[in-house]
Amino acid sequence: MELTLNEKRLLVALGPMGSADAAVLAEKMDTRREAVVQYANLAGDRGLVDVEKHVARRYVPTEEGRAYMGKGLPERQVLESFEESIPMRDLQGHPLAKIAIGWMRKKGWIVIRDGVVKKTGKTSPGPDEAAFARLAESGEIADGEGVADLAKRGLVEEEETVAYTVSITPRGRELLAGGLDLREEVGTLTREQILSGEWKSLPLRRYDVTKLPKRAYPGKVHPYQRIIDEMRRILFDMGFEEMSGGIVQSSFWNFDALFQPQDHPAREMQDTFFLGERRPLPKGYERVRDMHEHGSGTSSTGWGGTWSAEKAEQCVLRTHTTSLSIQHLAAHPKPPVRAFCIGRVYRREAIDPTHLAEFEQLEGIVMDEDVNLRHLLGFLKEFYAKMGFEKVRFRPGYFPYTEPSVEPEVYVDGLGWVELGGSGIFRQEVTEPFGIEHPVLAWGLGISRVAMLRLGLRDLRQLYRSDVEWIRETPIYGGRR
Amino acid sequence: MAIITLPYRYLERLARTDRQTIIDRVPMIGADIERIEEDHVDVEFFPNRPDLYSPEGVARAMRGFLGLEEGLPAYTVRPSGITFSVDPALADIRPFLGSAVIRNVNLDEEAIESLMALQESLHWAVGRGRGKVAIGVHDLDTVNPPFRYIASPRDRSFVPLDFEREMTMDEMLADHPKGRDYAHLVEDFPKFPLIVDADDRVLSFPPIINGELTRVTAATKNILLDCTGTDRRAVMTAVNIICTAFIEAGATVETVTVDGEEMPMLAPAERVVSVAECSSLLGLPLTAEEMSRLLRRMRFDAEPDGDSRVRILVPCYRSDILHDWDIFEDVAIAYGIENFDAALPATSTVAQEHPIPAIEGAVRSVMTGLGYLEVIPFTLTNERVLYVNMQREPAPGTLRLLHPINEEQTVVRTDLLPLLMEMLLANKHRELPQRLFTVGDVVEDCVTSQMAAAVSIYPTADFSEAYAAADVLCRELSLSYTVAESADPAFLDGRRGDIVVDGKIVGVFGEIHPAVLGAFDLEHPVAALALDLRAVPGYPVLPDTP
Repeated sequence: MELTLNEKRLLVALGPMGSADAAVLAEKMDTRREAVVQYANLAGDRGLVDVEKHVARRYVPTEEGRAYMGKGLPERQVLESFEESIPMRDLQGHPLAKIAIGWMRKKGWIVIRDGVVKKTGKTSPGPDEAAFARLAESGEIADGEGVADLAKRGLVEEEETVAYTVSITPRGRELLAGGLDLREEVGTLTREQILSGEWKSLPLRRYDVTKLPKRAYPGKVHPYQRIIDEMRRILFDMGFEEMSGGIVQSSFWNFDALFQPQDHPAREMQDTFFLGERRPLPKGYERVRDMHEHGSGTSSTGWGGTWSAEKAEQCVLRTHTTSLSIQHLAAHPKPPVRAFCIGRVYRREAIDPTHLAEFEQLEGIVMDEDVNLRHLLGFLKEFYAKMGFEKVRFRPGYFPYTEPSVEPEVYVDGLGWVELGGSGIFRQEVTEPFGIEHPVLAWGLGISRVAMLRLGLRDLRQLYRSDVEWIRETPIYGGRR
Repeated sequence: MAIITLPYRYLERLARTDRQTIIDRVPMIGADIERIEEDHVDVEFFPNRPDLYSPEGVARAMRGFLGLEEGLPAYTVRPSGITFSVDPALADIRPFLGSAVIRNVNLDEEAIESLMALQESLHWAVGRGRGKVAIGVHDLDTVNPPFRYIASPRDRSFVPLDFEREMTMDEMLADHPKGRDYAHLVEDFPKFPLIVDADDRVLSFPPIINGELTRVTAATKNILLDCTGTDRRAVMTAVNIICTAFIEAGATVETVTVDGEEMPMLAPAERVVSVAECSSLLGLPLTAEEMSRLLRRMRFDAEPDGDSRVRILVPCYRSDILHDWDIFEDVAIAYGIENFDAALPATSTVAQEHPIPAIEGAVRSVMTGLGYLEVIPFTLTNERVLYVNMQREPAPGTLRLLHPINEEQTVVRTDLLPLLMEMLLANKHRELPQRLFTVGDVVEDCVTSQMAAAVSIYPTADFSEAYAAADVLCRELSLSYTVAESADPAFLDGRRGDIVVDGKIVGVFGEIHPAVLGAFDLEHPVAALALDLRAVPGYPVLPDTP
């Protein structure tokens, strides 16, 4: 049996007394009572001492109670302030009269007749006064006759005290009799102790394996970023090239190049963050203008009306990463293109648990000879399956720049079918002005929603107003939900 | 978004099927079920299909989709003899007018409500908030033709809908609820659009409000429709959708002659499309016959034109058909999106990481290795956080939002450090020490670039810790740098250093100034660093182009 030094010291202190209060032992051992209780419990587990816990209730005076101490209860003080009788009016001048008169009557000490207060003669002290007298002597009293009355009057209050009595057991005595090594225990081994071999004879402090030391917190990547990185890895695995680009876009790249009509509601200041800045239109913007106005030689009628270059120059905070996709395609019009982007997008929305003015969007595009709607569904199925959503289904959808458009839904246990992003084939009105001759499959996904599902969040804001505690407690490897 | 209320009993009668079939199948023509109630279902239809914004329109589409009735719905019109003139002075105000007479309407309370709802949805989807198109319906029997659409002096008065007294049009813009809502559409014009009858009585002040005189009630038997606007195509779309919905409900439509043009003709448009193009886009090997059959279920008339083409008549209410691919989408919907076999193309491509996320990833490795925790603050913030609290001058290229939502988010961040300081405040009650970092976009002068920043807060956080961390970050990013005394007012003098690369300051580190700590309501020293990642070798030269 390997005792800690503290347990040994406890046995040595306890030996001569056999049994003692923890507070007494603390004084003898020059430590705190709580420490003694801790050592005693350890030794108790080994059967060397018995620890007995006593819970005692006692009553101590309240502030009001303290005010009467030594002087007696108010009714006694007032009673003694006059002889056999006194006019009520005079008695009311006593500072304690208000409290005392009621009690004097209740206890039957006085009668009041015709405005005169007269003693009855039955004024001997009751149990409450006796208890109060004992309180005045020692500053505290145990429960007993009359104490409840004092408590009810708010003159005393209950206080709980816990005392521990530690007694040595025969096994403890035996051990003590055999002699104990009271040399100071060694905590951290020094270089000298290791090299010299002194460690062999040193009493090493033993640690309690049930006691966790102060917690350590590792540096960590944000849980949301881990999900983003997982998605990036999936897209790399599927042969996609990564895109990255500016937050600020001209309306031309954010809307016009995507055949969004200039009077589309999304282009109003209620929905989009506009900036005062303007950007020049790229070379060849006229082809986009013509497409809007009359369809530019395709089977499209265009939107009609007059297209405004001035409107197209106005800068916005990108409302989707599709503005990057179309620029990437304009720079790489020859097949095959397989590219993706994960980036922050902006919507002018009032902030609440499920809506934010900024959030991340994932977007994938595939351009190749002869890709078709079935391939779009194929890429979506593959991507969602790798994300852990095995069940995927498709419904018709609508997005201004795709035709056909498809809404994918994934099955989530407990939630049912959840709409998770949008997809489609870029309209010819979008691709034709940039010399893109093959279909472009595209899909986008608000990944903060995926993060909410994965991380079990109810409020999107938690992703961005990071609570350090939450990041510390969210495991790096959580497996799949 | 347009959410349409579909009462089961009415819809079942019109669609000739039961409610469960409708609820089950309507999403497959392109819709989201919003709410299923005892006596009705609320469905959201897409903004490109305003023809579905009424129970009549939905029933028409569902009869086709379910195979109960195929091909083009036949709509006949006959002349009413009523004429309408348009004042040339409206050319710069609100030039276009569409009109029709609708007879034998049968309006109960529910039907009036449904008509109002259709009108509101069309105002939103086609009318762009009444600017492009505004719709008015009138009890025809309260007024006398011919009608005139004129540019009127602004002080002309009449009794507007829901009011009992006459007021001038200027007063309506100030005092009538609809006037206040839509004043911005007309207030700058010297004259206002007005519709009057043969006796100069007012029917409507488009796009603001109708007159009380022609109010449509349950007793109304005949309706005069007016659609005014700034875009002829959109005006006619609204007329066609409303008229065909009334015909579906059992009414008859008569034409009106507007400046010599008879309208509405409700005539289909012809298109000839390629079978091969459709098959290739959808990945379905279709014949002209199969394609025609599918399109008839979407209420087109469609007949093979030889083997390789299909001749199509597009109903007048289908304003969404701009391009042949819009037709092909309907082929896909008729075939059933759920019936397509998913496939992957055989082409192989090579993945490629973009250098910017790659550099950001390297920052994450270094900082987490040093025990820092990543946080992801918002990119929208305000000048108090960015500059005032930091004791710094505003960056000249700061982007300000023209219409911010709140006072907290008015500018795009130009630095990350202030956001980390704010994050420390939000986590003030959490255990110390805290070491936080972030990496991400900042914007100046419309150009997006990336930074990394880190903070460390606890009673003995100091200059040396910041210096050591800055040194590790630079070394691990292969960045050769020198250090010079810094003048950054966010840091304490004598405890701050600039990271200098090629003679240019690209970062800063040190102990945050106690006044800055105070501004962020922090109570312990903060060691901090920030680094402009454009200095890192391999950072792309033109970062703002994808």
